[in-house]
Amino acid sequence: MSKVGIVSYGSYIPKYRIKTEEIAKVWEEDSKEIVNQLQVNSKSVPGPDEDVITMSVESARNAINRWGGNVKDIGAIYVGSESHPYAVKPTATFVAAALDAEESLTAADLEFACKAGTAGMQMCFGLAKSDMIEYGLAIGADSSQARPRDPLEYTAGAGSAAFLIGKKRVIAELEGTYSLTTDMPDFWRREGAIYPSHGNRFTGSPAYFKHVIEASKKLMEQLGSRPSDYKYVTFHQPNTKFPLSAARMLGFSKEQIDLSLVCKEIGNAYSASSMIGLANILNYSSPGDRIFVTSYGSGAGSDAFSFLVTDMIEEVKSYPLNVDYYVNRKKYIDYGVYVRFKGVLR
Amino acid sequence: MEPPKIWREKRQRYLGIGVKCLDCDYKAFPLTSFCPSCGSGNVQEYKLAEKGRIIQFTQVNQTSNDMMANVPYAIGIIELEDGIKVTGQIVDIDYSLIEIGMPVRMVLRVLSKDGTEGLIKYGFKFIPVD
Ligand SMILES: [Zn+2]
Repeated sequence: MSKVGIVSYGSYIPKYRIKTEEIAKVWEEDSKEIVNQLQVNSKSVPGPDEDVITMSVESARNAINRWGGNVKDIGAIYVGSESHPYAVKPTATFVAAALDAEESLTAADLEFACKAGTAGMQMCFGLAKSDMIEYGLAIGADSSQARPRDPLEYTAGAGSAAFLIGKKRVIAELEGTYSLTTDMPDFWRREGAIYPSHGNRFTGSPAYFKHVIEASKKLMEQLGSRPSDYKYVTFHQPNTKFPLSAARMLGFSKEQIDLSLVCKEIGNAYSASSMIGLANILNYSSPGDRIFVTSYGSGAGSDAFSFLVTDMIEEVKSYPLNVDYYVNRKKYIDYGVYVRFKGVLR
Repeated sequence: MEPPKIWREKRQRYLGIGVKCLDCDYKAFPLTSFCPSCGSGNVQEYKLAEKGRIIQFTQVNQTSNDMMANVPYAIGIIELEDGIKVTGQIVDIDYSLIEIGMPVRMVLRVLSKDGTEGLIKYGFKFIPVD
């Protein structure tokens, strides 16, 4: 029986960036200290005509074009985000129409802070493995909001990643997945509120680290694998410091995680964060490489995955609109333009 | 913005779907039920090429309220690789850097927003191929 896994992948990052030092200048804060603390040089900013729907469509089209198959074979589309443009009217329906994948499919929007995209991947793995669908498309996309002067303003970025999941022409087999979920008041946004609130220092140890570390350990325990068995690893990237610390605590080296740390230039892409990390890793992977992924979503939970890269990776690797392309396609803007693009002025 | 109009136009706006005449082979955009060249009703959906070149452009400084968030913006006539000419916004580039002949490709963007409670209209625009 053929194994379920990733069939294709695509990513999208908006062109605009604002530097950490530009934000620090406005609030008269010490930018060197902030960059040193977060290890984030700049964050991505969507243009005035971009949102989670447009970014989801771009990453999904990149996944489909990289694959080259028939969109009508897609049986499920899930979009994970905490910034869906509509409270009621699914992002996933726009994606289906913009891919020409209507009408014979199931679709839904998911929300679980920064891990709703990986939750969608798990749903697709389950449906494809049980032959309820041939292919499923799981997207993580966010255009996150941060209250001006909130520490989050330095990192709240934007981006999207899409993974096509199925059993045919698999480029990375799923070896296993494990999730850890608890009720944790570390970060929230009430219905109708524009900006999220958070528990400041509370977000570190009991929230991010507990979930990422325990979920990762548990999955490796179940699979009988060790950090040294993996070529690459990616974790959720609220900043660059957290995933680096998580890697060190688990026994992964800097070399294993380095490739995934797009956060340095684009900030925290929320639901897309660990998924863009995985997309970049796949661009550099070779057959036989094992990849470890653990997402984190406030509220709180982590989804851990273990993948084995197959020979099929060579067939799809050369697609040009990859993470590197989008990271390098950039234009720095000042705080005034940032405020206009983000719609802070009402 | 009326829901029926947005719904009717979604295929042409999201996917760049026009028509191809099965009698005279003429291709046209947007979607119509008759061939603009020979008048035949024997037409089928045709997906426009996604890449092209700018053949004319100008800046828009005044527009309707639902599009003011994007002002000023560039609008251009694009000759697509299949020879069809379409009008569209040119985004992700400073106006001063746009040139005639510049290669562009289609992306999906927000076209307009009906206030904060109405519908959001999506459709293709063009960005430079870089
Ligand atoms: Zn005709």
